[in-house]
Amino acid sequence: MEHAYDVVVIGAGNGGLTAAATMAKAGKKTLLLEQHNLPGGFATSFVRGRFEFEPSLHELCDVGSEENPGEVRRLLEQTLGISVGWAAVPEAYRLITIAEGKDNLNVVMPFGVKEFVDQMEAYVPGSRKSMEKFIKLCEQIMAALAYIGASGGKADPEVLMKEHANFLKCGGYSVSQVLKSLHMPKKAQRILCAYWCYTGVSTDELNFALFAAMLYKYLVKGAWIPKMRSHELSVALDARIRELGGEIWYNTRAEKILTKDGKIIGVHTNHGDIKTGHVIACCSPNAVFGDMMDHSDVPEKQTRMVNARRIGARGFVTYLGLNKTADELGLKDYSYFIYESMDTVKESARADGFNDHPMQATVCLNRANPGCSPEGTCIMSFTTLYNKDVWGDVPPEDYVNKKREVAEKMIRDFETHVGISLTPYIEEIEIATPVTMARYTLNPQGAMYSYSCGDWDTMLPRLMMLKEDQIVPGIRFAGGYGPRIYGYSSTYLNGELTAKLTLADMKEAAQ
Amino acid sequence: MSNFNFHVKPIGLFDMLHFKKMVPARQKALACGSTTSVTGVYGSNKLAGILHPKTQCLTISEIIEHGENAKSYVLTGEHPAPFRAGQYLSVSLKIGSSVLTRPYSISCSPKWASESKYALTVKRQQDGFASGWILDNWRVGDEITTSGPEGTFYYEPLRDAKHVVGLAGGCGITPFLSMAYAIRDGVEDFRLTLLYGSRKEADILYRRELDEIAKATDKVRIVHILSDEKKEGFEYGFITAEEIQKACEGDTCSLFLCGPAAMYAFVDKEIEKLNLTGKFIRHELYAAAASPGKFKDYPGDTGKAFTLTVKLYGETLTMPMASSETVLVALERAGVAAPSRCRGGECGWCRAKLDSGEVFLPAFLDKRRMADVRAGYIHPCCSYPLGDLAIEVWPE
Repeated sequence: MEHAYDVVVIGAGNGGLTAAATMAKAGKKTLLLEQHNLPGGFATSFVRGRFEFEPSLHELCDVGSEENPGEVRRLLEQTLGISVGWAAVPEAYRLITIAEGKDNLNVVMPFGVKEFVDQMEAYVPGSRKSMEKFIKLCEQIMAALAYIGASGGKADPEVLMKEHANFLKCGGYSVSQVLKSLHMPKKAQRILCAYWCYTGVSTDELNFALFAAMLYKYLVKGAWIPKMRSHELSVALDARIRELGGEIWYNTRAEKILTKDGKIIGVHTNHGDIKTGHVIACCSPNAVFGDMMDHSDVPEKQTRMVNARRIGARGFVTYLGLNKTADELGLKDYSYFIYESMDTVKESARADGFNDHPMQATVCLNRANPGCSPEGTCIMSFTTLYNKDVWGDVPPEDYVNKKREVAEKMIRDFETHVGISLTPYIEEIEIATPVTMARYTLNPQGAMYSYSCGDWDTMLPRLMMLKEDQIVPGIRFAGGYGPRIYGYSSTYLNGELTAKLTLADMKEAAQ
Repeated sequence: MSNFNFHVKPIGLFDMLHFKKMVPARQKALACGSTTSVTGVYGSNKLAGILHPKTQCLTISEIIEHGENAKSYVLTGEHPAPFRAGQYLSVSLKIGSSVLTRPYSISCSPKWASESKYALTVKRQQDGFASGWILDNWRVGDEITTSGPEGTFYYEPLRDAKHVVGLAGGCGITPFLSMAYAIRDGVEDFRLTLLYGSRKEADILYRRELDEIAKATDKVRIVHILSDEKKEGFEYGFITAEEIQKACEGDTCSLFLCGPAAMYAFVDKEIEKLNLTGKFIRHELYAAAASPGKFKDYPGDTGKAFTLTVKLYGETLTMPMASSETVLVALERAGVAAPSRCRGGECGWCRAKLDSGEVFLPAFLDKRRMADVRAGYIHPCCSYPLGDLAIEVWPE
């Protein structure tokens, strides 16, 4: 093996890029392998006609302003030293429900804790007290998570009991259970939970601490997007890795992880063998333990673990380049959630298959990033989720019509319920299904959300089991498969965390 | 708000126990997973492989001659990927010591893919490197390697008018032939009026096939326009605004263009007179010109010889490069199998990192991502060197 590296990172998704940059910065000889010809995984862009589309990012959490930076800004700008042109998302969301009759919602919620609570009180008089309790609980959760994070996996139970009692009391429950105990009016609960689809998990299954931390970070830090699409971030990380002495090989597939006596000794690729003792995989454990390793080298415990986990939501996105401005069309908001109802269990069940009104998270990019498309135009994207691999069963000859049918339903629902016309102004359209995402990322079933964080596999136990989740020495997982689960901000942070753990592995091996 | 006593269950201690149970619950669930060997390949991954194969191995099963300078090749394969009428295949070629690709529109009905075949039509290009070689060398029984179906030059009902006026020049008829077949076979549903420009009657490609389709369906209509010959039954001259307007028959139409650069230059000016919004005008790719000299804003000298330094997976090669040719051509001449597909700046498959030096990229071919422009990435298929260059490429 002529090429030798301290660490090989498989997959240049957000986690792989961050991990590679962190390793290179620590002075390790780093090689990043990516099977596609672009960095970023889902964080990329594509051009159709005179439009450059954002494939996946709606709003990046935990960036914050320069004065009040969040974890993601800290990591990208301060720790890794990249610079990004950020655009602020103007409002939290507009939430519309369409099948609840007189209970249908059509509300716009702002960022900012006070603003959010005030607006909720305006929509749901009498909600303030429970909302304030909710916010207080969010603050307590943030403090507890900060403590757990700083403790490096060795949180003192006594300190937790004494200083973070409310966190312990709510941390084991679902969103639905906790909101009920806060005696929050039902309508306020429904408005509050709009972001549930960012996790793909119903509020009955979704861990409260996870959801509360996400919502609170959005409220306090706002949401941001890079002006040149998420590709800007990926390219900036790519450049930084090179600056720090790392190498990146595109169009390179990690085909086999080579082992000897149970130890990782290298990676076999379509461009030759690479010697390394450490692999950071920003790709699915299914691919690593199923397709890249001899099954005899995979411990039974590891196989059980992979099989026990549930593949997370698969995304479907319709992209429109429109030949009218957002103002001309009457698109007032950036982010629209359109659901049949706020019964998230029902909504989640509908996402098991095809249905007439796919839930949608829709974005008008120009509302946050006015210069993102040529003068006189705007860009929209319509996203829905699938909980099962239904797209895998579509006959190849029906595929084009099927994706158009779903796209048409989503556009029509938007037109009907927001009350504006879009179809006559479509200058460019592209439709990405889970099959498209499988094509470009190779993720199992084209899943965007790695392993579901529903039920038992949520963030807290994953963090508390960091050590025991590591079964095959020398391989760690970054990106959406890391402990802090999926979603843009988490994948960057997972990349850093995984690199730090790998550095610790190296230190330990050297001793 | 000051701290408050929070609990879900009546007694807070039970809530803490609930918290404590999270780890054991996850441990138990993970241990319950099956011991069946794991896989990362599922239905959607398999379908992605069927629809978008990276390469396809096809055999030439039949060659149809169209006069002296054009042939159609029927290619058969085990399960060729389905395609949309108007898409192309990128064909991989080895000519002498060069390795290269060429994009050719698929000219048959989309139904053919389900019968395990495609048709491609190749016309001899003046000074062309690949087209002449293909016409002279491809034989029945030869195996060729292509990409999956690529490109976005197809009818899309959510975007396009129900009536499409196709403006075809010479070999640019091929994607329209496929669209016409698709309409006849019920695969697509739109009206297609074709304004098909040829030099002389004898140069018309697929005349019989087009006539047969027009007879079989009233949704397809063909108007032949001859530029170098006045003949009865044919329009004479070029594709003008007037001809286009006539073809639209009062409908709001989408105009689809496919033909040589000279035709685009003329027809685009005619289309301007019609005052249409860009939504209704779609061009098939412009192939990057053989020489940059004719681009108005070209700042270079086409007679220069430069050196190209290429970083390839940790190795470095150097090769000569002519200022009159694209960076991609220099790589191909040196036998570097650099990635490429559309060769018109659009697909981005050839994306490479420019480490030093300057290139000229004609603005109308520059479809790079914004962040790539800023970070110094180029699309070698339409980048002409203005001096010595150092680049990094990633052959597949």
